[in-house]
Amino acid sequence: MARMKFLCDAERCIECNSCVTACKNEHEVPWGVNRRRVVTINDGVPGERSMSVACMHCSDAPCIAVCPTNVIYQTEEGVVLHDKDGCIGCGYCFYACPFGAPQFPNGPAAFGARGKMDKCTFCAGGPEENGSQAELEKYGRNRLAEGKLPLCAEMCSTKALLGGDATEISDIFRDRVLRRGKGVEAWGWMTAYGKDKEEAK
Amino acid sequence: MLTRKSTQATGAARQLRSSAARHFGQTMDRRTFLKRSGLGVGAGALAAQLPYNLIGSADAASPEAAGAAGAAGDTSVRRTVCSHCSVGCAIDAVVKNGVWIRQEPVFDSPINLGAHCAKGASIREHGHGEHRLKYPMKLVDGKYQKITWEQALQEVGDRLLKIREESGPDAVYWIGSSKHSNEQSYLLRKFVSFFGTNNMDHQARICHSTTVAGVANTWGYGAMTNSYNDMQNAKAMLFIGSNAAEAHPVSLLHILHAKENGSKMIVVDPRFTRTAAKADYYVRIRSGTDIPFIWGMLYHIFKNGWEDKEYIRQRVYGLDKVREEVAKWTPDKVQEVTGIAEEQVLKVAETLAKNRPSTVVWCMGQTQHTVGNANVRAMCILQLVLGNVGVSGGGTNIFRGHDNVQGATDVGPNPDSLPGYYGLAAGSWKHWCRVWGVDYEWVKARYKSEDLMTKSGITVSRWIDGVLENPELIDQPGGNLRAVVYWGHAPNSQTRGAEMVEAMKKLDTLVVIDPYPSATAGMAAMVRKDGVYLLPACTQFETSGSVTASNRSLQWREKVIEPLFESKPDHTIMYAFAKKFGFADELVKNIKLVKDKQGWDEPETEDILREINRGTFTIGYSGQSPERLKLHMQNMATFDVKTLRANGGPCDGEYFGLPWPCYGTPELKHPGTPNLYDTSKHVMEGGGNFRANFGVERDGVSLLAEEGSASKGAELQMGYPEFDDVLLKKLGWWDELTDAEKAAAEGRNWKTDLSGGIIRVTMKNHGMHPFGNAKARALVWNFPDPVPLHREPIYSPRPDLIEKYPTHDDKMKFWRLPTLYKSLQDKVKDISKEYPLIMTSGRLVEYEGGGEETRSNPWLAELQQEMFAEVNPKDANDAGFRNGDYIWVESPTKAKLKVRAQVTQRVAPGTVFLPFHFSGWWQGKDMLEFYPEGAAPIVRGEAVNTATTYGYDSVTMMQETKTTLCRVSKA
Amino acid sequence: MKARIHSLALAGVVTLAAAMLAGCGERPQVGKLEQGKYAGKADTRPWEGGTFKGDKGAWEQAERNRVRAQNEYKRVE
Repeated sequence: MARMKFLCDAERCIECNSCVTACKNEHEVPWGVNRRRVVTINDGVPGERSMSVACMHCSDAPCIAVCPTNVIYQTEEGVVLHDKDGCIGCGYCFYACPFGAPQFPNGPAAFGARGKMDKCTFCAGGPEENGSQAELEKYGRNRLAEGKLPLCAEMCSTKALLGGDATEISDIFRDRVLRRGKGVEAWGWMTAYGKDKEEAK
Repeated sequence: MLTRKSTQATGAARQLRSSAARHFGQTMDRRTFLKRSGLGVGAGALAAQLPYNLIGSADAASPEAAGAAGAAGDTSVRRTVCSHCSVGCAIDAVVKNGVWIRQEPVFDSPINLGAHCAKGASIREHGHGEHRLKYPMKLVDGKYQKITWEQALQEVGDRLLKIREESGPDAVYWIGSSKHSNEQSYLLRKFVSFFGTNNMDHQARICHSTTVAGVANTWGYGAMTNSYNDMQNAKAMLFIGSNAAEAHPVSLLHILHAKENGSKMIVVDPRFTRTAAKADYYVRIRSGTDIPFIWGMLYHIFKNGWEDKEYIRQRVYGLDKVREEVAKWTPDKVQEVTGIAEEQVLKVAETLAKNRPSTVVWCMGQTQHTVGNANVRAMCILQLVLGNVGVSGGGTNIFRGHDNVQGATDVGPNPDSLPGYYGLAAGSWKHWCRVWGVDYEWVKARYKSEDLMTKSGITVSRWIDGVLENPELIDQPGGNLRAVVYWGHAPNSQTRGAEMVEAMKKLDTLVVIDPYPSATAGMAAMVRKDGVYLLPACTQFETSGSVTASNRSLQWREKVIEPLFESKPDHTIMYAFAKKFGFADELVKNIKLVKDKQGWDEPETEDILREINRGTFTIGYSGQSPERLKLHMQNMATFDVKTLRANGGPCDGEYFGLPWPCYGTPELKHPGTPNLYDTSKHVMEGGGNFRANFGVERDGVSLLAEEGSASKGAELQMGYPEFDDVLLKKLGWWDELTDAEKAAAEGRNWKTDLSGGIIRVTMKNHGMHPFGNAKARALVWNFPDPVPLHREPIYSPRPDLIEKYPTHDDKMKFWRLPTLYKSLQDKVKDISKEYPLIMTSGRLVEYEGGGEETRSNPWLAELQQEMFAEVNPKDANDAGFRNGDYIWVESPTKAKLKVRAQVTQRVAPGTVFLPFHFSGWWQGKDMLEFYPEGAAPIVRGEAVNTATTYGYDSVTMMQETKTTLCRVSKA
Repeated sequence: MKARIHSLALAGVVTLAAAMLAGCGERPQVGKLEQGKYAGKADTRPWEGGTFKGDKGAWEQAERNRVRAQNEYKRVE
C-alpha cells in the first residue's frame, strides 16, 4: 500500500459542502471548527471553480517540522496526526501549513479543550486505542481502523473528492481525465504549468 | 537533509498561499462573504449543541461493533432514504441503544451510489435535533405554553368540530405535506374527505402543479419521463429554470458523468448559477420569457428541417397550430423579448438537434409563473418535435422538489383529485369507496353537498384569500375559511406574506402539526394572542413508509429510531383525530392497527400501502407491494446504474423501486417503467406509448397514434383506445379472464376493475397498453392557451411589451376564488418606474423549502448564517451600497426586507436574486421572541415571500415567484 | 521515516510521566524534546486491534474496496 491522499476534481466539485457536513456528522465537530471547507474562485462568473480543502497530509509536512513539542507525526500510510495531550496550542503549525488546515477550537467541548490544535485526521483518529472513547472524544472516529475511508470522500455528491491510496485514486482521476479528452484539470495545474494552456483552450 | 526538505516545503507553501490570496482577492464567494459578516450566531448555537454531542458520544458504540453491520450488542443498521429532495439518496443509519449514532454511505444504491449533498450528509442531526417541537403547545396570551396531548386533541378537535357545525366542513383548510410518506399522504386525503371537504393541498401546488397539469395533458402522465440515471445516456442536456447543482446536487453525479463522456451541457437561466458554472454553454435570459426562447429555438429547428418528421406523423397531434405561432417568433422578436441574440438561440437549438437523444430539465424557473402551464407545454413540444420523448437519453427530466412531492401528488391531499388522479366525479368517489370499504352515501353525507364533493377545493397558494376575500365572491356556501391546519408545510414558501399575517390574524383557529414549530408559529404569535396550537409530529426517520423519488421509483424507509420527545407519526395523529371526529373505523376499515410504546393506535404503514395498491391502477401504484419494495431495498447492488434494471438476483428484470407505472397486481410482476412512453420495449418490460386520455378524435381528426407507433410486441401495431370490458369482449379476449376477474371487471374499465384482470389480459397476453395508444397533444384545447403563448408577467419590467403580450382576463370563479390578471396588470403597468429591478428567488444547497428544519441543523446552519440578496455591481453602485452592507429590498406591496447585499455578477444588471429558505425576521425585526422558547431555528432571516406579489397560473393556481419587481436601498 | 511510530518505543516515557503527574490530576505533558523526533503518545496501526486483529492484508483489501466505491465507473460499465 502506498500513501493515503485526498484529491479534489475541480471539474466535478459543485460546492455542495457535503464533505463539510459529513465531517461534522462523523466526528461531532462543534460549531466554528472546520476540519474541511470548500473554497471557490471566480465566484459567479465564467471560470467559477470550487474545491474542497482539508489537511493534505503532506509527505514532508511543514507542521511536523515546526512543531515545538514534536507531537505531530505521520503514520505508515502517510496520514499526519498529532497527540493533543502534548499540544500547547501555539499555532506554529498554523503558520507553516500551506492550506490553513489547523484549527484552534475555543469551546468547552471535547474537541475544544484548552485551545489545542485540531485538524482533519483522514478519519484515522489519533494516538489512543483504536476505536476507544478517548480517541473519539479527542480526535473523532477512526474509520481507517474499521477498514473504511474518510467520510467526506465517501459521501461526496459527485465523487469529486476522492480519498484513499494515492495510486488508486489517481487511477480513478486519470481515467476521467482521459474520457474528458482535454488535459488535466486538477486545481493547481495552471499554477504549475503556466497560463498559456488555459488561453489555448 | 531535514533542513533542506523543510525549506522546500516552506517555499511551496508560500507559493500556494500567494496563489490562493490572488484568487480570493479577485472575488469573494458566498460563504467567505457570510463568514465574515455573520459571526454572532455561532456562540449560542455552540452552547446549545453541547448536551447532544455528549449524548451522542456517551452512548456511542465501539467502532468495531458499528463497523460490522448488526454484528454485536444493540447496534443495528437501518436503511432509510434522505428526506431533503426528490433524488432519493439511500442512507444507512447506525443505531445503538435506540440512539442514531452514525451514518454510513450506501454505495449499493443505484440512485446515489453512496453520495450525498450537505443536507443528506448531515441528516443524522434529525435524530437528536433539540430545536424540534418537543410537546404539544398552545398560544396563551401571546406566549406558547406546554399542554398535554389529551388536552391538545380535545381542544383542537372541539374547535374544528364547532366550526364544521357552524360553517360547514369547507370552512376548515388542511395543508398537507410533500414530506409525508405515500401512506401518510394517502391517508390524509382520505381523512380530509371524511371530514367532508376538498379544501386541502400540499407543496406540489407551488412546486410543479403546472408541470403535472401541462405534461399530463400533453401525453398522459404528469411526471419526470426518464430518470436521473438515464441522463447518463443523453448526448445533450438543456437546463432551463433548474439549478440542479444546488437543488438536486446528487443528480450532478449522473449529469457530470454524462458530460465527462461527451454530453453537451447547456444552462439557460437569468442567473449564472452553480449549474451554469459546470455547463459547456450558458445563456442569460430575462426572467419570465421562456416561451419566446423555446419558440425561437423551434423557429430554427423548423427552418433547418431538424424536426423528426416520422415521429411527428406517428405520435404528435396538432403541431400545425404550433408552427403558426412559432413562425411569428423571428429572431429579432425573440431578442427583443428575451434579450438573447440569434446566434445563441441557434446554437442551443442546433446542439439539441444534432446531439440526439437530447434531454431537457426544468424546475421552478419554468413552473412558478402566471404562464407556468404554457412554459412546460412548450418544453414538451420542443421534445416532441425532436422525437426525444419515449427515448432513453431523451425525455423531459422534470426534477421534483421535496423528497415525496411526487408521491404526495400521486396519491395525496390534492384539492382536485382522489388518489391516483381519479378526479372528483361521482364515479371516482364510488371507485375509492369500494377500495376503502365504506358506503358512498356515507361519504357523501360527510360533505355539505354533492356539488362541493365534486368541486375542486381552494389551493394552498390562495388560502389567505379564502380567509380575506369578500365571502360573497367565494364559490362555496358558508364563505370564508375559519381554521387552517398546517400539517407539514412552511408558510414562508407561499407568496404575499404580508397579507398572510392578516389572514392568520383573522382566523378562528390555526393548528400546526410539524416536527419543527415552523415559521407559522412565529408569524401567528406575532399577530395573535390565542387560538394557535402546535402539535409535534415526528420525522420520517421515526416511522416507516414508502417514498417516491422524482424518477417515480418507490423506496421503503425503515424506522430508524423511536419518535423523539412527545412527537408522533403523522398517521398516528390522523387516527387520533379520526377518533375524535367519529370516523376512526371508516378510516382504517382495511388497515391493521398496532399499539405504539405509549399505547397509541398506529395504522400499520404496510397495510396502508396495500390499500393504495388495491385502488391506484391509473398510474400503476398497484404493483409496488411492501414486500417487493423491501426486497429492492435489500438488493440494491443488483441493479444497473444506467438502466436501473436488476441483472440477476431476486429482483431480476425489475427496475429499481418499481418506478410507476408498475401495472396490475403485485402478482402480475410488472417490472416498473424506467422511461415513460418508450415503444422500443414490450409493455411487460417497462415499455409503453402515449396515453389515450382525451377521446379518440377531435374535429374529425383521429387522436390515436398511427401505424408503427405501438410498443414492441403489441398484438395490434396501431393506435387504439383504452381498455374496458366492452373492448375486451369485442376483441374476443373476455374469456381469458378468470370467473372471479370477470365478476370484478363486468361494466368496468382497466382503472376501476379491482381484480386487475383487464390489465393482466391486455398486457401479459397481448402485449398491449391498457391506457391505449394515442398521439401526444401539441394542442391542449382544454387549456386557456391551447398553443402556449407568451404573456408578460403581471409585474413586468417592460411596460412597452405588455400591450403586445398581455396577460389573461380576470377569472371570477377559479378554484373557488376570484382571480385577477388583466385588471391588475393594467393597474401596475408603469410600476417598474418606481420598482425598476426584477426580483426573483431560488434555492441554496444547504437548506430545503421554507428552511426551518435545515436552519435548525447546526451543521448546515453554520454554512449559511444570513439572508442575503444578490445584486449586480451596477445596481449596487446606482443605489449607493457596497458588498456586505445591509440593504432594504422593497416590493410593490410595500413590504420591505432587510438583508445583506452580496454584490456579484452572478445576476445581470436589473435583476435581484433572493434565496427562499429564510424566515424568522419580519421587515427588519428578529421574530425570536415569538417562537416557542428554545425551539427557534439557529439561523433566522427575512423571508423573500414576505414581499412577493400577486399572480397565479391560469390552470393550476401556481404562484408567481420568479418574476416580480423591487427596488433596493442602503439600510 | 523520521516520524514513524513503534507501538512500544515510547511506552516507558509515557508511563513515567503519567506516574509523576498522577497526583496533580493532570494529563501527562511531553517533557523531553529532541529535534525531529516525535515526542507524543504512541499510536497503533489501523489494522491492529478490534476490526482486523492485525491482519494487514485483510485491511488493505477492505481499503481497496472502499476506494473502488468512490469510482462510479465501476458500477456503470
